[in-house]
Amino acid sequence: MKNKMMLLAGTMMALATPIFAQTGGDAGDANRRGAAYIAVGIASGLCGLGQGRATASAAEAMARNPGAIAAIRVSLILGLVFIESVALYALVVTYIAK
Amino acid sequence: MPHELWITGLFNQYFAGPAISIMNLSHLKVEDAAHPWSNWMVCELLVTAFIVVLFGYLRARLSVENPGKTQHTFELAYEFFKASAEDMIGHDGQRYLPFFGTIFIFILFLNLIGLIPFLESPTMYTMVPFGMAVVTFVFYHFAGIREHGFGYIKQFMGPILLLTPLMLPIELISNLARPLSLTVRLWANMFAGDTVFMTFLSLTKLLLPVIFIGLHFFVSFVQAYIFMLLAMVYVGAAVSHEH
Repeated sequence: MKNKMMLLAGTMMALATPIFAQTGGDAGDANRRGAAYIAVGIASGLCGLGQGRATASAAEAMARNPGAIAAIRVSLILGLVFIESVALYALVVTYIAK
Repeated sequence: MPHELWITGLFNQYFAGPAISIMNLSHLKVEDAAHPWSNWMVCELLVTAFIVVLFGYLRARLSVENPGKTQHTFELAYEFFKASAEDMIGHDGQRYLPFFGTIFIFILFLNLIGLIPFLESPTMYTMVPFGMAVVTFVFYHFAGIREHGFGYIKQFMGPILLLTPLMLPIELISNLARPLSLTVRLWANMFAGDTVFMTFLSLTKLLLPVIFIGLHFFVSFVQAYIFMLLAMVYVGAAVSHEH
């Protein structure tokens, strides 16, 4: 798991550097846009992972203690919403970078 | 100029004059004198009129002995708002209930009006959710100041005085980010729902897009609920007392 994460991070960095290294008028703009798209992709993917974990544990907790379903549901929705806002901030960044 | 709905066309034909004079009164620049109304304004007005008529009708026929179906529905909704507010804010929740109910019902109808053919959701345009987010922002600060007076600033200073220089900027930024995240969440969900629907409509033409209408219906409820829930959380945080 850890090795995989390191590999992923390494790949991302190796890909990211050439994107930022290039300069020039239109090409720079296109690169910036490309970087923004990659950024929103990474943010959404990781938010998806986080939301999946949150939902999984909430479902587990609901199955174990059906009496607490109402309370768990509210905190689940709140948690999902706050995780989601990270992806939304990334989306805003892509609009700014355009 | 994006495409104009038929009802926007009607408004532009008959009510262009009043719109322009209102814009002139508030020193706004009229960009297109022939089309001062945009789709979202007209749909918002339509929803407002519908809500006023609906609740006027409901208010006129309220009865204890013989409650109709509509009354039952909205009593259920009221119970739900009340339970949520008491969950999130505590006993004071009842005080702020009118605001939460308004937010939920208004946003719900704004989202749902997009399901009617030849109309579209005003929440698909950033201005509409932003207006609601700003109202929420002002409302929860107002509630906090009313509750704590000048001591409201303590909410931003963290638990101990030593941490204040660290906590103050963090709290200020996170507070200022709230209207942004409220706006973008509602807008992005509605916009994405519509875009997905249009994409599948252009791909398949028949039957399959109906699934996405169902999805849009569900998302409308969830987003209205989330907006209300976040407003409750913010108000609850603003009026809470330190232990």
